[in-house]
Amino acid sequence: MNRALPLVILAMAILAFATMLLVVVPRAQIGSEPPAAGLRAYSPEELRGRAQYMSLGCVYCHSQQPRTPDQAPDGERGWGRPSVAADYAYDSPHLMGTMRTGPDLLNVGARLPSTAWHLTHLYRPRAIAPWSIMPSYPFLFEIKDHAAPGDTVVWLPREQRVAGKVVVARPEAMALVAYLLSLDRTYPAPASAIRDDGYSRVGGKP
Amino acid sequence: MSEHPLADEAFEPYEPRRPVPLPVYWMAIALALWGAVTLWNDSTAQSSGVGQRLAEAGDMTRRHSAAGADLFAQRCATCHQANGAGVAGAVPPLQGSRFLGANPQLVVQILLHGINGPIAVGGDRFDGHMPAFGSVLDDGQIARLVTHLRATWGNGGEVEAAFVKAQRQATRERHASWNGGADLVSLDPAVGPQPAFLSAPPAPSDSVAMALARGGKAGGWACSACHGAAGEGRSGVPRLAGLPADYIAQALLAFSTGTRPSDIMGPIARQLDGPERVGLGRLYATMASASRARPELDGDLARGATLALQGDDRRDVPSCFSCHGPSGFGVAPIVPAIAAQQPAYTAGRLAALGRHGKDDAGAAVMPSVAARLSDADRRAVADYLATLPPSPAIDTDTKDAR
Repeated sequence: MNRALPLVILAMAILAFATMLLVVVPRAQIGSEPPAAGLRAYSPEELRGRAQYMSLGCVYCHSQQPRTPDQAPDGERGWGRPSVAADYAYDSPHLMGTMRTGPDLLNVGARLPSTAWHLTHLYRPRAIAPWSIMPSYPFLFEIKDHAAPGDTVVWLPREQRVAGKVVVARPEAMALVAYLLSLDRTYPAPASAIRDDGYSRVGGKP
Repeated sequence: MSEHPLADEAFEPYEPRRPVPLPVYWMAIALALWGAVTLWNDSTAQSSGVGQRLAEAGDMTRRHSAAGADLFAQRCATCHQANGAGVAGAVPPLQGSRFLGANPQLVVQILLHGINGPIAVGGDRFDGHMPAFGSVLDDGQIARLVTHLRATWGNGGEVEAAFVKAQRQATRERHASWNGGADLVSLDPAVGPQPAFLSAPPAPSDSVAMALARGGKAGGWACSACHGAAGEGRSGVPRLAGLPADYIAQALLAFSTGTRPSDIMGPIARQLDGPERVGLGRLYATMASASRARPELDGDLARGATLALQGDDRRDVPSCFSCHGPSGFGVAPIVPAIAAQQPAYTAGRLAALGRHGKDDAGAAVMPSVAARLSDADRRAVADYLATLPPSPAIDTDTKDAR
């Protein structure tokens, strides 16, 4: 180790280069991006649901970033237009995710706007799709003999009901569903938005 | 003292000079060149993407600011003919029509809401459906179109966008089309005597189906929660209003048996029995609602229009309208309306049909056509169909009753 100084300098230079390209330049590009017109801030309940989303680890299987048509057929899957930086203005930290074990969720509130559907699906995903590999979240629900006034009862297919009992959503489940329903970026992308132009020179038009 | 000769104590170990093999240099240089060329090539993606976006924006601007004559050619000439002569016995003429001579309010109202029912023009009786353009043309476009119509076949005079806006505001509560000439006479008596409109009493199953659509079955999920209160659909959720009743009933049956796989519709459809499927079909077939569909897939609208109107012989793709009816309003009993359908659904359904090889009824005509469409074509045609006015709610029973 008689050349410690050059090694340290080289390591610092590599780190500085990476920080420059991955942090400083993107920050300069989109750091001051205003929220898209049509995007609204999350309500307190939706923020509680967002915390649930994070703590339950939804982000490990669900992305929140629909891609351009030349990268993936996300539009045809009904997942919405390619997202732009302005779509995430109120997301801190963003929950874009890296894995797509399940479908993209950035527009799930638009394509599945039914609270009842989401409650059933969270309580027992296999009640909806027998092949689903999504974990069920029974601890977000309560099994009662009778629904009290103000309780939200979860609907289940006839063959999956427990005789004489009802499944009621806890506030955590209601908050999570409120957050899921708030995921709706179907307004048009701002014309000036920075978007991923991907491989547009080969894809796109026939 | 050992007899062994001593090692040379002055010897310093050294590493023989072994230069890096030349091929390694070549590979490094080749990789660097390859990287540089790739970077150079990809740097044009940004500028071509910008160019493509500008072209799209220009395309949209042209569509929004098209002159009245162009709008007439795009939207009206298919039925009313380029010379406005109409089609005897089917489509009323515009030449010499008293409707165009009347107050401009009348023409604007007809364009906004469409007509459904018998109408007398120039002494001839017509009984068809004029689509409602209120949800697909903006105030400026309707104003330019009406100005063009009145200048060509009416009394002349310009109609301002503000006038159209006021008219739209005045009838914003109206969701159905005008009920034939009888309804239009009340707007302006100058159109002359008009045939009476007879509506059939609502069938008893309608209230049951309505309860199902709004409240779901036994606390289950309601149709309207996703498909909208007026069956207009939303991004990724199909429009149901104006689809043929038998098509809807058949689709529900296909969902319940798994012929048409759907994780969302499957468990819902399995709760429904035969009469409920038929009732829901009738309910949505007779529902009138404005179009909520907008192009959203970056499709090429001109290419979509070509596919819809003419098809593509080279790919052996017939025109959409050859089977789905003029203007894509569907042909009862089982060919669905495709106009004003949500584009993500249309494109996704085309892709699924192409993969699956069978439609709800087990037929292979549409799947074989869908399989020949490229990804860009599916998006183009889906986006084009989203710009069309919605299919008028055709109440077959009302028509039979007349």
